[in-house]
Amino acid sequence: MDVFNFLGRTREDKARLEQHRLRLYRIAYAWTHNAALTDDLVQETLAKALKKSGQLRDPNAGEAWLYSILANCYRDHFRRNRVTEEIDENTITHESTPEKESSEQQVVLKVREAIARLSEGQRQVVTLVDIQGLSYLEVAQILNVPIGTVMSRLCRARHALKDLLGDFAPKIAAEDSKIRRIK
Amino acid sequence: MSNEEQKFSDEFINAFVDDQLTPEEKAQVYARLSGNEALSRQICELRKTRDLVQLAYKEPPMPARGMATLSAGRKIGLGVAAGLMLVIGGISGWFLHQSHAPQNIAVAQPGVSAEEQAKVLFHVSDGNAKHLKSVLDDVEDLMKHYRRSHQNARVEVIANGEGLSLLLAGISPYAERIQKMQKEYHGLTFVACQNTIDRYQQELGLTAKLLPGVVTIDSGVAQIMRRQHQGWAYLQV
Repeated sequence: MDVFNFLGRTREDKARLEQHRLRLYRIAYAWTHNAALTDDLVQETLAKALKKSGQLRDPNAGEAWLYSILANCYRDHFRRNRVTEEIDENTITHESTPEKESSEQQVVLKVREAIARLSEGQRQVVTLVDIQGLSYLEVAQILNVPIGTVMSRLCRARHALKDLLGDFAPKIAAEDSKIRRIK
Repeated sequence: MSNEEQKFSDEFINAFVDDQLTPEEKAQVYARLSGNEALSRQICELRKTRDLVQLAYKEPPMPARGMATLSAGRKIGLGVAAGLMLVIGGISGWFLHQSHAPQNIAVAQPGVSAEEQAKVLFHVSDGNAKHLKSVLDDVEDLMKHYRRSHQNARVEVIANGEGLSLLLAGISPYAERIQKMQKEYHGLTFVACQNTIDRYQQELGLTAKLLPGVVTIDSGVAQIMRRQHQGWAYLQV
């Protein structure tokens, strides 16, 4: 059970890694929209983190560090599998059928579909910023691109999302008027 | 990045929404916000897009468990693991995977016990004193009801717009009552909308002081959306 302890890691380290698991999973799922692959990527990320954890000097940098490992695993995976698998051409399938009926779930699926249509770079930036709430600087370091690139990708991604989610326009407009009325 | 006379660039507005600007830069945006319908709308839409993205991945689907999954996706992972990791890394990865999976499923799909808990959201957007009293009466009646029936309940009172006055120190006509209620009922939370607080600050120059124990959230409307998504009953009062 206590693999981390077995490897000489402290209980705190283990707890911290565990906490990060679901968060990593969210991001990796947003990148791949494939639960099995996401599971593998998170697995690989945590295993690498475990192996390299001795290199991590600043514990506060832990989170961004984990995401950069994830980004590397993700990139490596598609570099290896380029011939057989192209993520942007994947159709998104969802395993959770019972939830499909609710309207919130419809919104969720629609947004995921829109995210899947973004270019890879835009998808990575927008999910790291929006889901994980990382700063532009952290995202730039994680993806190893200049901060200006992060900003322009984010800008374009959100613009594209707005267009792709255009079907929500009536609903959003209704919410708008409601917001104005009550405040 | 942008001088006062020019229109802010889209990147700049995005950075504002993501709280990536210096206080001086933020002040520039706030200064231009009042009376600028287009700018407020743009910011509002960016926030909405961000909320939607967060919502979409709050509960990502977990991979199907069991032997069947070993066939497709798992093979890739095992191959990857074998190729890249030391033997020990592979073993730890496997154990990690085994030991953490059930927890994640629990997070993603709240179990029966969580569903039995009653979850009710009151949304207060009217600042009239009489109205606020009836809101508190309603909330208290509900809490009493749950207590009598020994039901585990979580109740949130979200105040935004003019309703915020309910939770402002020195302004709320029911400050003492709210404190008493908070002490009395542990499942009861009073929540103030940060957007409204910011707007008070910006439009009226008022620094909102909240009653003790009151929680703030980024946006009342976003919180309502989130709670509804989580299966809370929503009452606009």
